[in-house]
Amino acid sequence: MLRRLLARWAFPALPIGFAVVFVVLPLALTIAVSFWTRVGLVVRPAFTFTSYEAFFAGARLLVFERSFLASIEATVLGLLLAYPIAYFLAFKVSPRAARTVLLLFTVPFLVNYIIRAFAWTWLLGRTGLINTLLMASGLTNEPLDWLLYSDVAVLIGLVTSYMPFMIFPLWLSLSGIDRRLIQASWMLGAPPARTFLRVTLPLSLPGVFAAAIFAFVGCFGESAIPVIMGGVGYQMMGNSIASAMDVLNYPLAAAISTVVLGAMMSLLLVWYLAFDARAFLGMIVRPGK
Amino acid sequence: MNSLSIWTRRDFVRIGLASAGAASAWAAIPGTARAAGGTVNFADIGVGDPGGDWSLFTKAANGWNVNLVAIGNAPSAILNVLVAGGGTASYDVINIVGGMQKPLVDNDLIEPLDTTRLPAWSRDRNVAEFLGKGTPGFNFIGYQDKLYGVPTVLQGDSFAFLPEKTGPLDSYAALFDPKFKGYVALEDNYTTAGQKTALYLKHANLAKIENPADMTPEELKTVVDFLVEQKRKGQFRVIWSSFQQAVDLIVNKEVYVIDCWEPMVFVAKSKGVNAVYADPKEGYLLWAMAAYLTKNPKRSAEATQAAYALLDFMLGGWYGAKITLLRGYMTNTDAPDYAKAHPDQFPAEGAEKVAAITANVHRKFAQGGTWQNRWPKHVDVYETEWARFKAA
Repeated sequence: MLRRLLARWAFPALPIGFAVVFVVLPLALTIAVSFWTRVGLVVRPAFTFTSYEAFFAGARLLVFERSFLASIEATVLGLLLAYPIAYFLAFKVSPRAARTVLLLFTVPFLVNYIIRAFAWTWLLGRTGLINTLLMASGLTNEPLDWLLYSDVAVLIGLVTSYMPFMIFPLWLSLSGIDRRLIQASWMLGAPPARTFLRVTLPLSLPGVFAAAIFAFVGCFGESAIPVIMGGVGYQMMGNSIASAMDVLNYPLAAAISTVVLGAMMSLLLVWYLAFDARAFLGMIVRPGK
Repeated sequence: MNSLSIWTRRDFVRIGLASAGAASAWAAIPGTARAAGGTVNFADIGVGDPGGDWSLFTKAANGWNVNLVAIGNAPSAILNVLVAGGGTASYDVINIVGGMQKPLVDNDLIEPLDTTRLPAWSRDRNVAEFLGKGTPGFNFIGYQDKLYGVPTVLQGDSFAFLPEKTGPLDSYAALFDPKFKGYVALEDNYTTAGQKTALYLKHANLAKIENPADMTPEELKTVVDFLVEQKRKGQFRVIWSSFQQAVDLIVNKEVYVIDCWEPMVFVAKSKGVNAVYADPKEGYLLWAMAAYLTKNPKRSAEATQAAYALLDFMLGGWYGAKITLLRGYMTNTDAPDYAKAHPDQFPAEGAEKVAAITANVHRKFAQGGTWQNRWPKHVDVYETEWARFKAA
């Protein structure tokens, strides 16, 4: 009896225990600290909304809004670029070629993300390669200032950093679509565009949403790209949290983190309610069916 | 230099005898002290490392070694290491930019120093000249009349410019001059960029600021309002936050005027860029690094003695000259003479460089300005206001 119970619960207990210790407890502690009070350099347990008031009344709310908008822009742009790539890899090339291309998309991640951001500054700066080429070709008379230290630069940095992350779930989702459904659509006379809009796209939506979440969450918490490529004082939520930590204001940092966590959890809830995650995961274990 | 190459047979005999003595002592001292025995744990922000060569200290301190660990320089990083990370037990000495004794002392993280245990203390004329009790410089090594830090590095900051683009500049006004609109960069730091702006506004009679080093919330708001206005006019290209970023801005001529540190200009010059570090009429942002003895009641008497030996070594000529040469900062008053008197360790060119850097920084201190305040009274307001500037 005991052995059966152990066999039944031992395996799930491991991941559940791991999640509780390393995910749930730290998050719960973060939420708790956000209501604590700070006395000198130490924080004391309390129940006060002071940190939330400081967040919603101050400049950090602007940072939240900016992070939200920039993350949406980067996610949408990333999807527009990643979807065709994933579609091509899933339907138009051999599995071997697809694997090779996917492997190539992991190469940038072998380079430190700060070095990658610095590399962009050398390309996009006033005396960088792109401006030099533009001026040498006569397309512009003077360097384009907005290529670097601007919202555009941050968008370039975010899209190029997170777009490869989007390709993988999209490719998985598209690869898992039952080809017979697409063939049936053709056989019933639907043109390719209609087949795509009525069959392929809806069936790939779990992957689209997963990709969007990967990118959105990553962009929202990004801290290196805004600092290295953004304009004067460009900040996203990661920078705002770090700034509060600089003066050891842990309750404020925890309150900002809690607000971000709430926003992210809401998105995940929408995903959970809108799509059957098992379908997406099922496709992962049964590719090409 | 290979640390073994300077050992003589006599050293080996001495070390052999010392080892035998140490072995006897080892058995007699408690376990906790034994665990730390032989090594001084030294936390540093990347400035106090003499190229990994501690052999002269080891020789002077009866075989004690130094284990150098790099830590961040932000006040939060330092306090996190010492408070949350148990750093007072892990490190014997921390070498950081001074001026934050208040949080360090109030939280029982550092010990007052006994200068009678530091023979080199009285030789360092910088202490009496710039860091004495009752002067603003004392805030970098002391707190409430007690001494806590050994000064290891002194420097005066201003800004850099590219003379071929700007012509000669001698005022912080250049940072806000519409002629350089879009070609100016500031440091992302309210205790440097914010304080330099306050110094400029005060000297130009553009704002009533009593003490740029420790502003009231109202004064700070005035400074940040001014910066926000400048930002909205497009005066600044970017605010930088790392050494490499600032060097790139100068070397790539992305900006012509930049609020930065002098070693960045040294690097830019080494890359062939004619950058000049300004001598502003308003004076410099003065600062000093200090090495503190962490408060650890469990530290053995031998380890404390070794930590004092390290602090004393850092006030010495060899260490000072080495750091001046490597980092470009003034260290102690023995450094230039030591470098000149030891051509075997410091070739003539190096000794001249040590003397030139020391004389230049000494001149800055003589000229004065404002002392950087790493932990102002209203530090939370500083952080909030700076966030407002950045978000504007």
